[in-house]
Amino acid sequence: MDKVREMRERNSGQVLLIAAFIMAFLLLSAELYIFEVGNVMSEFESNSLTDFVLNIKLSSRHIVIGALANASNGGSISVLELNLQRWASLIDKQYRFGKSILNYTLEQNSPYSSGIWMDWGTNGLGVSSAAVNFAYKLSGREMNLNQSYFLNITTTLLVESTYRGMLGNDKQINVTIRLLNEANAALAKQIIIYYYSEGNWLIPTQVNNYSILDYGNGTYLASFTASIPGQDVQVSAHVVDQREIYVRANATSTQI
Amino acid sequence: MFDRKGQMKIIESFFAIGVVFSALLIGTVQFSSSPNLAKQKSLASLGVQALIEIDANGTLGKLIVQEDWTAIKQSLDVALPIGVSFNLTIYDENSNQINSQLIQNSNLLGRETVSVQYFCASQSQNAQFFILRLQLSWTR
Repeated sequence: MDKVREMRERNSGQVLLIAAFIMAFLLLSAELYIFEVGNVMSEFESNSLTDFVLNIKLSSRHIVIGALANASNGGSISVLELNLQRWASLIDKQYRFGKSILNYTLEQNSPYSSGIWMDWGTNGLGVSSAAVNFAYKLSGREMNLNQSYFLNITTTLLVESTYRGMLGNDKQINVTIRLLNEANAALAKQIIIYYYSEGNWLIPTQVNNYSILDYGNGTYLASFTASIPGQDVQVSAHVVDQREIYVRANATSTQI
Repeated sequence: MFDRKGQMKIIESFFAIGVVFSALLIGTVQFSSSPNLAKQKSLASLGVQALIEIDANGTLGKLIVQEDWTAIKQSLDVALPIGVSFNLTIYDENSNQINSQLIQNSNLLGRETVSVQYFCASQSQNAQFFILRLQLSWTR
């Protein structure tokens, strides 16, 4: 009994050290675990002001495009104002860099009205356009920013046509279509050609040997034959661009 | 003899205390290092640039409206460099989460992450607005 007690007393320091090592191991394990799990919680938010302003401009552009697509497809032109109101309200609630205020002014100068201009003429030119002025103001503790930007979204359609007389009233008609987005060549999503014959606008079909050639640079050549009395040949192109903006233009075909 | 035993015990006790404090000290120094700010900022910039790239022609808004979470994940996989892990959460303008499935290429739990916020407006005829929160991390 005494031997056991003596052994216990002799080894008590070693037991203390082993216990200390176990405690140290547990402490390190716990700290490592907390560190690993805590890393996700300690993420930091890092948006630069430049990126934020770029983000606002890009989204403003999408809103104007969407509203123009809506208006050009027969929707109300007031959608532009309504969508911009909601957008400005969302930006005004952001306090990441300070107090944000996004103001906009719809272009009212002729030919625009409420920021929208649609002119689908008979002279081979069709325009669907929206124009808005934006002013973004940031008042922060570290910086102030006043940034104005103007967005003009314009889809332009240019139509030219020639025809060659064939037997009787039959005519071989070529229609050249050029589509532009902000004055740059753009691809069409949909093109429908019409010709005017005896009081009706008709769509050429396979019966008319209709074909359309895509040059891949925003220029298209539609060819077909049609029976049209007289020398006055009217054609019309109805085009939807890749942004869903609709535009059309009528043109008088020239005899060659 | 007894005195020596006492001294030994005191030394052993100090040694034990030293071991425990060393563990505490190592943990504090080793595991609480501050994140590399420059590295995190470049990661944040990569994230925003990737979102802008996908959103440039309105694709991002269109994919969100279509609830095509897989396509969004694939787009981010392409737009972000190899070695970057991400987790994207999409909220509507009332801050309700709308992505019904995870948009991530790996689990970010336990990683040093940076988070960026992005506003997206759909190009649809009735504009919808979304707030995107992209968490990024370098793959170890």
